[in-house]
Amino acid sequence: MNLKLRCADSHSMMEEEDDCPELVPIQPQSVPPAQQIPVTIITGYLGAGKTTLLNYILTEQHNKRIAVILNEFGEGSALEKSLAVSQAGELYEEWLELRNGCLCCSVKDNGLKAIENLMEKKGKFDYILLETTGLADPGAVASMFWVDAELGSDIYLDGIVTVIDAKFGLQQLMEEKAEGFINEAARQIAVADLTIINKTDLVAEEELNQVRDTVRSINGLVKILETQRSRVDLSEVLDLHSFDIEDGAKLAEKLQLVKPTRPHLDKSILTVMFEVVGDLSEDSLNAFIQDLLWEKKFLNTEKEPMTVIRLKGIVSFAGKDRQMMLQGVNELYELNETPQLWEENQRINRLIFIGRNLDKDILEKHFIATVIQNSEKN
Amino acid sequence: MRFAPPLTPPLWNAAAGMATTEARRECETEGCSKDAKLQCPTCIKLGIQGSYFCSQECFKGSWASHKLLHKKAKEEKNQNEAKNCVEKDINTDPWPGYRYTGKLRPYYPLTPMRLVPSGIQRPDYADHPRGMSESEQFLKGTSQIKILSPEDIEGMRVVCKLAREVLDIAALMVKPGVTTEEIDHAVHLACTARNCYPSPLNYYNFPKSCCTSVNEVICHGIPDRRSLQEGDILNVDITVYHNGFHGDLNETFFVGEVDEGAKKLVQTTYECLMQAIDSVKPGVRYRELGNVIQKHAQANGFSVVRSYCGHGIHRLFHTAPNVPHYAKNKAVGVMKPGHVFTIEPMICEGGWQDETWPDGWTAVTRDGKRSAQFEHTLLVTETGCEILTRRLEENGRAHFLSQM
Repeated sequence: MNLKLRCADSHSMMEEEDDCPELVPIQPQSVPPAQQIPVTIITGYLGAGKTTLLNYILTEQHNKRIAVILNEFGEGSALEKSLAVSQAGELYEEWLELRNGCLCCSVKDNGLKAIENLMEKKGKFDYILLETTGLADPGAVASMFWVDAELGSDIYLDGIVTVIDAKFGLQQLMEEKAEGFINEAARQIAVADLTIINKTDLVAEEELNQVRDTVRSINGLVKILETQRSRVDLSEVLDLHSFDIEDGAKLAEKLQLVKPTRPHLDKSILTVMFEVVGDLSEDSLNAFIQDLLWEKKFLNTEKEPMTVIRLKGIVSFAGKDRQMMLQGVNELYELNETPQLWEENQRINRLIFIGRNLDKDILEKHFIATVIQNSEKN
Repeated sequence: MRFAPPLTPPLWNAAAGMATTEARRECETEGCSKDAKLQCPTCIKLGIQGSYFCSQECFKGSWASHKLLHKKAKEEKNQNEAKNCVEKDINTDPWPGYRYTGKLRPYYPLTPMRLVPSGIQRPDYADHPRGMSESEQFLKGTSQIKILSPEDIEGMRVVCKLAREVLDIAALMVKPGVTTEEIDHAVHLACTARNCYPSPLNYYNFPKSCCTSVNEVICHGIPDRRSLQEGDILNVDITVYHNGFHGDLNETFFVGEVDEGAKKLVQTTYECLMQAIDSVKPGVRYRELGNVIQKHAQANGFSVVRSYCGHGIHRLFHTAPNVPHYAKNKAVGVMKPGHVFTIEPMICEGGWQDETWPDGWTAVTRDGKRSAQFEHTLLVTETGCEILTRRLEENGRAHFLSQM
C-alpha cells in the first residue's frame, strides 16, 4: 500500500481508467477546529515488555484507529519509514514519506511532517504510539513532537511511558557507565511520566520493593504501575496530557505530594524539589531556567555542573490570577498559563528538578535571591 | 506484528475525531439514500464537486456510469491545457493531478545541472549522491552554538561580502521577460568567477545555484524556464561557499511596475528584518526575535510563515541556533559575541500555512496569496551586531527601495 504521490502512479491511473479507485474520507470544505492527536512515547530496554504493551493496547482499543511507529526516526538517510495502523482488529502497513527537501531550515521535524502529511491524505488517527529503541534518549524523541502551539500541528505530545523489567531492571540501572556517559535506563526513568514495572510475577516481593524504591529515588514525580505481561488499565497509559495545561490542576496536587529522594546509586539521577512563597518576576524566572538548562551555570559543591533532564513546576507571577505551569525536557522548556486561579490561596511556587549533580540548597538559594519579586519569603 | 493482506483496501472514516458538524450527505448511487461519509478520490483530483458515497461496495456498483464523469472532465481539461502545456517544448504540468494553490506553474524541463570548475573548494555535500552533509548530520539535534574565532570571523566577512556581490549582480537582471534560469546562470558564473561554490547546488540534491521565489512561493523556488512578468515580486536567495565558510542573504525585488499591495508587503517584510536586527545584542534570547517580527507583521495585517526559520551559519550551511520568526517559540539559546546566524522572515498577504510542490522543494502559501522575504547573515558583537551581508553602496539600501 504505497502512498507515494508520483507521476508514475497518476499516469498508470490514466491508463487503467476502468479500475474502480478506493474511496477516501470526505474532505472538509473549511479547516475544521483541529482535533489534536496524542503521541505517546514508549521506551525501555529490549525485553522489558514494550512490544507486549503495544500489542495489548492495540487489541484492547480495537475500535480506535491507532498508528504505531517502531524505532524512532533514524538519521537523515531514509526516504520512507513504515508505520503500522490498527483498525477494527486488523493491522495494515502504511508508509511515511520523509521528504528530503530542506530539512535544514524547517522548524518541524521530518518525521513529524511525514505523519501530518499521511493524516492529511488518509484521515486522522485516534492515537499515535512510538516505540523507541532501547538506547535512545526519549527526551530527544519527545522534543520532535513537543512543538510550539503556534505551529498549529495536529499532533501533541501526550506523555512518555517507560517500561522496566522487574527482574533485570535493577541491574540495568546500576550499570556503571564511562565518565561523562549517562545510564540510559536511569535517563528513561528520569524523563518518564509513567513507569511500568513489568514481569512482577518473576520476582520476589523484596526484589520488587528494591526496584520500586530505586525508580522512586530517581524520579520523585513519576506514576508507577506494576504489571505482569504489560497488562495495564489503559486509562492510566493513554491521555496522560503530561505536557499540556490540562494537567495543571493535577500537577499542582502531585507536586504537593512529592518527597525529595535520596540517592540509591552513586553518581545517580535524583529528584530535587523546593517550595517558595511569593510572586516571581517572569524575566528573572526565564533567566534562571536558561542559566540552568542552557548555560549549565549552576555547579554543585564538587564543582560539577547540574544537568536537568526533566523539570516541572507551578509558579505565580505578580498580577496574574492564574497559576503558571512550567515544563521542561532537556533544554526545551515552556511556561503556560493554566485555567486554575490562585484565588485566596497562598501563592506557593513549587518546582521539581530531575537530573544529575543537583543540589537543592544551591538552587533554592539562587532562586530566592534572583527570582522572587516581592519580599514574601518562606 | 502480523499484517492482514488487504483484499479490499479499508475505507478510512475520518469523521471520527473531527469535531465539526457537517450537513448530512446522501450517497450518489441511484436509488441509494444512505448517509455518505466517503468521497471518490479521482473526482477530488479532477475538481469534480460532491461525489459522495456510502460504501465501497455501493460505489463499485455505480462505477460504470460514474467513470463517465471522469472521462468528460479529463477531456475538457485536456482541451484547455493542451495549448499551455506543451508549447515550444515547455511543460507546465509535470505533475498531473496536483492542485496548485495559486497561478504560478513550474516551467520544465530544467537545464542540466551546472558544473563548478575543479579548482574551487567544495562543501562535503557537493559530491554526496543524495546531497547529504555529513558534517551537518553529525551535529543534528545539538543546540550548542559555536563562538567564532577571529580567524573564522574574518573568513565569514570575506564570504558574506562575496555573497552580497553575487546578489547585486542578480538584482540587475530582474526585469520582465528574463527567465529565472537565466538569473541562475548569471549567479552561477558570478560565484565561480569569485572562486566560490554556489552553496544550494546539490544541497540535498537541490538542482540549481540559487533559489528564485515568485509571488506565492515562500522560499526554495527552483529557477526554471518561466519568464518574469510585469507585476511579479521575485525573491532571489544567494548562498556562497568560499574558503570553508558559507554566506547567505536574500532580497525581494519588483518586476517592472507592481501594485500597492506588493509594495506594502515587501516594505513591511524588510522592516520586520531590520527591526529584528536592531534588537540583536549579547544577552538577548533567540526566541525573542519572533516576537519582534510577528508584532510588526501583524500590525500591518500580514502573517508570518512558521515552517521555515533562520539558522546558524559558518562552516556549515545550516546549524544551531534555530531562529523561528513567529512569536512565542521555544528556541534554545542566548546571543553571545561571536555567534553568527541568519534572520530571514517570510511574510504573507494571507494565511501563514504552507505546502510543498511535488518537486519536494518549492514552498507555496496554501491560499495562493503572495509572500515576501529578506535575509541577512549577522555577527553578534560586544555591543550589538554586524550585518556581514550589508550592501556597501547606496547607503546600504535594499534594491526595491529604488523602485518604490
